[in-house]
Amino acid sequence: MTGTDSALKPRLKRRSTFEYVAWVVCSLIGIGILASVSTNPNFRWGVVAQYFTHDTIIRGLMLTLFLTFASMALGTLLGLGLAIMRGSKIKPIAATANVYITIFRGTPVLVQLIFWFNVSALYPDLSIGIPFTDIGTKIDTNALMAPITAALVGLTLNEAAYMAEIIRGGFSSVGKGQIEAADSLGMSGGMKMRKVIIPQAMPSIIPATGNQVIGMFKGTSLVSVLGVAELLQSAQLIYARTYETIPLLIVASLWYLVMTLLLSYPQSKLEQKYSRATSRLPRKAKKAVVLTEPEEGNLR
Amino acid sequence: MSNDGTILAQKIRKSFGPKTVLKDINLEIASGEICCIIGPSGSGKSTVLRCINGLETVDSGVLKVNGEDFGYYETAHAYHAHSPKKLAEQRTRVGMVFQSFNLFPNMTALENIMSGPVLVKGADKKQAAKRAHELLASVGLAGFGDYYPAQLSGGQQQRVAIARSLAMDPEIMLFDEPTSALDPEKVGEVLAVMKDLAKKGMTMVVVTHEMGFAREVADSLIFMDDGYIVERGDAREVLSNPQEPRTQAFLEQVL
Repeated sequence: MTGTDSALKPRLKRRSTFEYVAWVVCSLIGIGILASVSTNPNFRWGVVAQYFTHDTIIRGLMLTLFLTFASMALGTLLGLGLAIMRGSKIKPIAATANVYITIFRGTPVLVQLIFWFNVSALYPDLSIGIPFTDIGTKIDTNALMAPITAALVGLTLNEAAYMAEIIRGGFSSVGKGQIEAADSLGMSGGMKMRKVIIPQAMPSIIPATGNQVIGMFKGTSLVSVLGVAELLQSAQLIYARTYETIPLLIVASLWYLVMTLLLSYPQSKLEQKYSRATSRLPRKAKKAVVLTEPEEGNLR
Repeated sequence: MSNDGTILAQKIRKSFGPKTVLKDINLEIASGEICCIIGPSGSGKSTVLRCINGLETVDSGVLKVNGEDFGYYETAHAYHAHSPKKLAEQRTRVGMVFQSFNLFPNMTALENIMSGPVLVKGADKKQAAKRAHELLASVGLAGFGDYYPAQLSGGQQQRVAIARSLAMDPEIMLFDEPTSALDPEKVGEVLAVMKDLAKKGMTMVVVTHEMGFAREVADSLIFMDDGYIVERGDAREVLSNPQEPRTQAFLEQVL
């Protein structure tokens, strides 16, 4: 034995041969890909840099962000309504929400988008007015369903179905005892929803909604098929002219990646905040309070 | 004489699917009476309590709380369910304390106590807060108003829950095994609050396993088994000298 005190020796982690091999193999693959990507002239990194902040691209990005947040906001509102309807004791209301959710979750969103774009084939005119009277106006559906409207409607209606399920899941995470306590105090249904159920469902709804935002952000690329000049369509418009397909797809991808990373940060913070074991501790809770009861004599 | 604070049940039946949990419940509780309900689990004692404040509906029988038909109104041939509004109004006159406290975790102790008066009765916030502080003090928790339920011990949470029910000024308080989820050393503080309340003349119905509390505080005792009230009488009398063999067997096990 050497002179060092055995009790003070560091304890080393065991590294298997496999770990060393994995380091070498993965590094080689990584370096290979990097080398190929940076030396292959067909990637045209100069073109990527040139178009990265091009006006058309930035406008496309802004439209993508608008579509993301607008359809998320509208979809969440509609989803909340559907979730409440689904929990209704009145059968036809619950069934209506059920059918809606089944249809919109059971068909591809791309198909739904194209459907809304072409809905004028089904209903050439939309009339708003009082039935069986002459009062009201007629609107040409084709004019109303401009690509961007169709995109917004399609994304919103689809998102609502998913949000309804997320919100309903949140509702069911609220204990039966909470509802009974509210009932025994004589709270009305709406009051119970606003003051007891929704606040407590939030911890499970918010992180899932963050995920949906990120999904929606990338999902908006689908509306390029309608000719809406969002990020992907903007890139396509440019390369249709210049034939620089790959560099422009890289431009779009880089923006998607950057924005996804930017959105992931608050999302992971939210998830941390709400997934803690103490998630029942609300935001305003004071930390590290000492739980001592006042002495009998101190009681006011 | 006013019927406030009274409970009357006649031939109450209640089934959950194929299982009949209340078979023939007849009881009468006077204003200011402290009544303890004991019995083995599954005997229907919690269900009786839950019917009295409408968490469960009875299938048949007469149920009058505070002197009026509860949850339903009677016509020549049937009982018709009240509107949710009327039911809620009847419920505000019956306080319920749960085994698992069921405080709202998103509200502080004070907000919990204020929730009934402010949200349901539309009381003035300042006055409700003042009253809530008084109630907190009366359950020995003065100064704990800003604590969230998760920051309180079980015994403290249950005392806040009692204060929350009291804030509605009910004529009747129902306790569903209020100390069963507590550490043994916290049981005493909750029972002390309940004893205090009993002295003030509140009608109390307590489903409990605390025979000591029943002996000390209760006026009457009900022993339930298999959906029936097997024995009913003066609390001390029944505990020390049960008449029915089933009651004797049960008390031998728990005492």
